[in-house]
Amino acid sequence: MTNKEKYKQAFSALQPSHPICLEETTMKNTKTRIVLRPVAAVICVILLFGCARVAYAADVGGIRRTIQIWIHGDQTNAVMDIQNGHYTVSYEDAGGNTHEFGGGGVAFNPDGSERSLTEEEIMEHLSQPEVEYRDDGTVWIYYMEQAMEITDQFNEDSVCFLQLKDGDKTLYVTVKYGNGYATSPNAFVQPWEFNTNAG
Amino acid sequence: MRIPTEALVEKYQSNLYAAAFSVCRSAEDAEDAVQDTFLKYHTMNKQFESEQHVKAWLLRVAINHAKNTAGSFWRRNASPLEDYIETLSFQAPEDRGLLEAVMALPEKYRVVIHLFYYEDYSIREIAGILHLAETAVKTRLSRGRKLLKITLKEEWNDDE
Repeated sequence: MTNKEKYKQAFSALQPSHPICLEETTMKNTKTRIVLRPVAAVICVILLFGCARVAYAADVGGIRRTIQIWIHGDQTNAVMDIQNGHYTVSYEDAGGNTHEFGGGGVAFNPDGSERSLTEEEIMEHLSQPEVEYRDDGTVWIYYMEQAMEITDQFNEDSVCFLQLKDGDKTLYVTVKYGNGYATSPNAFVQPWEFNTNAG
Repeated sequence: MRIPTEALVEKYQSNLYAAAFSVCRSAEDAEDAVQDTFLKYHTMNKQFESEQHVKAWLLRVAINHAKNTAGSFWRRNASPLEDYIETLSFQAPEDRGLLEAVMALPEKYRVVIHLFYYEDYSIREIAGILHLAETAVKTRLSRGRKLLKITLKEEWNDDE
């Protein structure tokens, strides 16, 4: 055996007794260890792929769907009600507690009059990507069934350009680090075209 | 480029541990150095040219962390080296003698010896990791080899 082979064989016996774990632990001798697992903020992204059940609430004229949403980085079943241009999403957390959030909006007709958003318009709005800035410094984008880390995708101007695919559809996403994002089905929105007055 | 921390932990934690141990000669301090190193990597937004660049950086940080603890209060409360070696499982009986001989070297020789024989780094690469002149690396490598030869005799081949 060469000296290198002998050395490597001998030192192969050295292995950490406690494999490195990316979680908060407490060291021996009261030194505090480090938190490596990020604590995600409440992020809720509505994904439309989980529409397993559609029920028509005929008596009130609304629509109810079972959908899946992202909560704390996990996919969770939720129920979405759409009625008169407004939606409500309710879900249960791990402790069995029910949470609700909702929204809605209006659209403008060519003559300037307002109308309630249609279900399709609401669904399209809710299926937009969501960008999350985690405590550990990483940046994630959620879109449809995908969750992607984009921390290293920002250029030297702190802008990230992404093309998100959904079947034969492409969504062009421009993310300005810490300053919002813009989407378009046609081409990238340029960074100077949105959120230019952020303080 | 950036490599996910989890992937680096899986691939290099043993390498970092062995390098840190060669410096501080304490299992507990070596584990702390490795943990601190991966934390530092995980929380900083440093870009690297290649995976080799990442590994070299990790080793440098782990070695520096191990050096910092080598003379601290915590170090003096660590388990004795001899007790720790007793717990190791060696493939061959002579392996223990080699490890003990390396651990008996002065620290500045141990690190260079380890990076050369275990990590296969060249003198130039070792100089880059340890921020030393190449001549200093050559000198430490040569002196470390001579001491190993004296201790291990025919168990250690003559190097160039």
